[in-house]
Amino acid sequence: MFDKLKSILAGADTDYADIRYEVKKETKIGFSGRELTLMSSSSTDGHVVRVLKGGGFSSVAFTRPEDAEKALKTATENAILISKRTKKPVELARTEAVKDTVQPVLDEDPSQVSADEKLALLREYNEIPLGNEKVATTSLAYTDLVREKFFVSTEGTEIREDLVTVRISGSIVAKDGDLTQTARLGFGGSDGFGKLRNRKGLLEERTGIAVDLLKAEPVTAGTHRVILDQRLAGVFTHEAFGHFSEADLIEDSPTMREKMQLGAELGTEVLSIIDDPTVPHQLGHYRYDDEGVAARPTQLMKDGVLVGRLHSRRTAAAFGEPLSGHSIAEDYRFAPIIRMGCIFIEPGETGFDELMQRLGDGLYLVNPMGGQTSGENFTFGAQYGFVVKGGKKQQMLRDINISGNLYHTLESITGVGSDLKLGEVGGCGKGQLNVRSCYGAPHILIEDVVIGGR
Amino acid sequence: MERLMEIAKKVADRVEIYSESGAYDGVSFENARLKDIDSSLQSGAGLLLIKDGRLGYAYTRNLIDREGLVRNALASIKGGVEAGYDLPLTKDLPELKTYDAGIEDLTSTKMVDECERICGEFAGKTEGQLNVSAGRDASTVRVMNSSGTDLSSRSSSYYAYTALYYPGSYSSISRVTLGKKFVPASPEDLDYILGTYNGSLKEVKPATGRTRVLFLPETIYALIWRLKAATQGKSVYEQVSPLKDKLGEKIVSDRLTVLDRPLDDTWPGARAFDDEGTACRDVPIVEDGVLRNFYYDRYYAWKMNAESTGHGFRPGIVSRVTPSLEHTVIKPGTESFAGLLKKMGKGIIAAGVMGAHSGNILNGDFSIGLSPGLYVEDGEIVGQVKDAMVAGNIYDTLQNVIGIGDRLYPASMGKFPAVLLDDVSFAAKG
Repeated sequence: MFDKLKSILAGADTDYADIRYEVKKETKIGFSGRELTLMSSSSTDGHVVRVLKGGGFSSVAFTRPEDAEKALKTATENAILISKRTKKPVELARTEAVKDTVQPVLDEDPSQVSADEKLALLREYNEIPLGNEKVATTSLAYTDLVREKFFVSTEGTEIREDLVTVRISGSIVAKDGDLTQTARLGFGGSDGFGKLRNRKGLLEERTGIAVDLLKAEPVTAGTHRVILDQRLAGVFTHEAFGHFSEADLIEDSPTMREKMQLGAELGTEVLSIIDDPTVPHQLGHYRYDDEGVAARPTQLMKDGVLVGRLHSRRTAAAFGEPLSGHSIAEDYRFAPIIRMGCIFIEPGETGFDELMQRLGDGLYLVNPMGGQTSGENFTFGAQYGFVVKGGKKQQMLRDINISGNLYHTLESITGVGSDLKLGEVGGCGKGQLNVRSCYGAPHILIEDVVIGGR
Repeated sequence: MERLMEIAKKVADRVEIYSESGAYDGVSFENARLKDIDSSLQSGAGLLLIKDGRLGYAYTRNLIDREGLVRNALASIKGGVEAGYDLPLTKDLPELKTYDAGIEDLTSTKMVDECERICGEFAGKTEGQLNVSAGRDASTVRVMNSSGTDLSSRSSSYYAYTALYYPGSYSSISRVTLGKKFVPASPEDLDYILGTYNGSLKEVKPATGRTRVLFLPETIYALIWRLKAATQGKSVYEQVSPLKDKLGEKIVSDRLTVLDRPLDDTWPGARAFDDEGTACRDVPIVEDGVLRNFYYDRYYAWKMNAESTGHGFRPGIVSRVTPSLEHTVIKPGTESFAGLLKKMGKGIIAAGVMGAHSGNILNGDFSIGLSPGLYVEDGEIVGQVKDAMVAGNIYDTLQNVIGIGDRLYPASMGKFPAVLLDDVSFAAKG
């Protein structure tokens, strides 16, 4: 395969070019209630070629092998067009040429598990919520995804890396009269099919939550002191902070760049944040990004001070900052963009009970339900929460969406727990999907956040 | 495709092949400077087999290994997805004008020129960060089945997206220009962006409470999303829709009519048939506030003992179809933007929203961040609101429609006018 790719690049009249070929294999099984609605196993493939010429950088994605020459020609023409019209020529930060092959270490390779067994496991899990009389329906899906990636550049890099992701995710809908309530669930990771076994307890717990939500009270709108659980704090870290550590999102915004200058004191002293795709046994693990750059642990915030950023080769050169290995594509249909690999708040020393004592009166919010950011402002949902009085959990709450300003919130985090947990499912939809984007945190205490309610 | 059909027919009772191919080119400017030009040439085919009332599905990007594709689809039949429905024989459909050959002449250079022109219109008139992008797409969709259907639709589209960003944020005032071939961004749209932005730079802090809220064409999707979820054939079949027993009942204000109009070929993307080869037709979902129809693909129509409404669409070859409203329109009213502001008097404009995908969508609940929210007093925009949310349930909130804009704009999830609502819960950091 490397020879085939090198022969395509051999025709390149460019300053730099690379090509990525991927085979993507996907198995999906889906239930809606007791009905099996989807079972499919497919293999697809395609290429992305990127060209740098005269300071213009451009990419073309293509699926038909016979389009290779046309794609290279179009990318080159587009690069020349950019070079003529741009005021800011693109440079790529220098990186070492690498020849390597990386295969994941798996606890059970999903491709060695039969479709029947995958179906049987999903059906067994699906029966747990459906056995509860308050549950109206479920939506449960099994996915395994294998990306076999081949990367070649004109600088001599040749990398083959395979990424294997497995997941069971979905929702449980409980119903009482006209009221429906949904609990979401998801588990899996990059460690193989073994991650999906022996998880009945989680299904039972989620079923209980869906049913309990029918009796929960809608939250009252206003400003509240809150503790976020690990997954919700992880979403905050990813959505509100992490995206603005992605250099491509702030590169052309002078005002954002000013606020996100390295050395800026943005957070409280208890807050340290890192993105480290090299941590083993977590969803976001990889060795090389889709530019052939080795992933490295990247400290983003240390004791409240901004100290680092996530980069592609292009932005590392533009910012004059070190490479981090965070340029990732969804698959063969896309050129890579900067993505978080595994971002988390580093644990502190406060235990959960002590954190609740410090909260005293406020809200304890649990599990994310989608999030979004627009620069300094963010919004995300919590699946449920509890009123806390005198450090004790009380009435369950629902319909909770949080909104806040990133900078105010970073200054308002006054407690960081010791109980770091990384998510088994993550994901991010910045233009392309990235199902392996991992995030996590310990429990955190925030002094005041805006909560929308009826 | 014909060969694939031959091979597949030998091993299955019924066969459907969906294929697509397309070419896309896009250019983007950030902070009024050329940043990227990218292209994509994509193709693919999805194969659906039905044998003994069971369904299998597989897809591929390249038809190099047809037997392998058939094997994958056959293997998935073993799972036992039920399919007791027929594949339609559809022909003699109305001719829609979905393709304009003018798209062929639209080069990346011309799109760069247009983006530069738009940037030039703003130069010196604002300190906001201007991002502009434009793209062109030419694609073909084909649906064949063993009942004898063989339909294809070639379409072209062009878009330009102009957004002016507030300092230090990704909140913006934006507008989309859409056509089947190149159309210059209109002076009215550019004036709207500039005027609205420049008039709202001051930060204001209104109090938490109930207020009038004007959803712009760009944000009303956040509420319509809930209506789409609850009227989907799948939600009705699964008995989880709060509207399941409410056909013919008034569910929202009688000012509100929501339609699906696939045959309207004034916009790009019109379709005479859906991705299962069922003929498309215009379907009212809500008419003068009354719930008129649910929408189905063939699977859920079969489950509900109903007819497919021609809404079997898929988000690409990787998925089977689901019931989906792809051509949604809110019937425009009679009021200009200025007229709506005047009618509002005092309140909030939801100019951008965040987190519309959060919360209990099926139930109609929403709780969304404003990004930005604009504050209106005496019918004039006086500033922007940060850290603020609006929330409610659409079956309450949409009872309070007090005005609808007179023009449709292309937006996420459809073509919409601005919609003015009374008595919406608003929360802000005081």
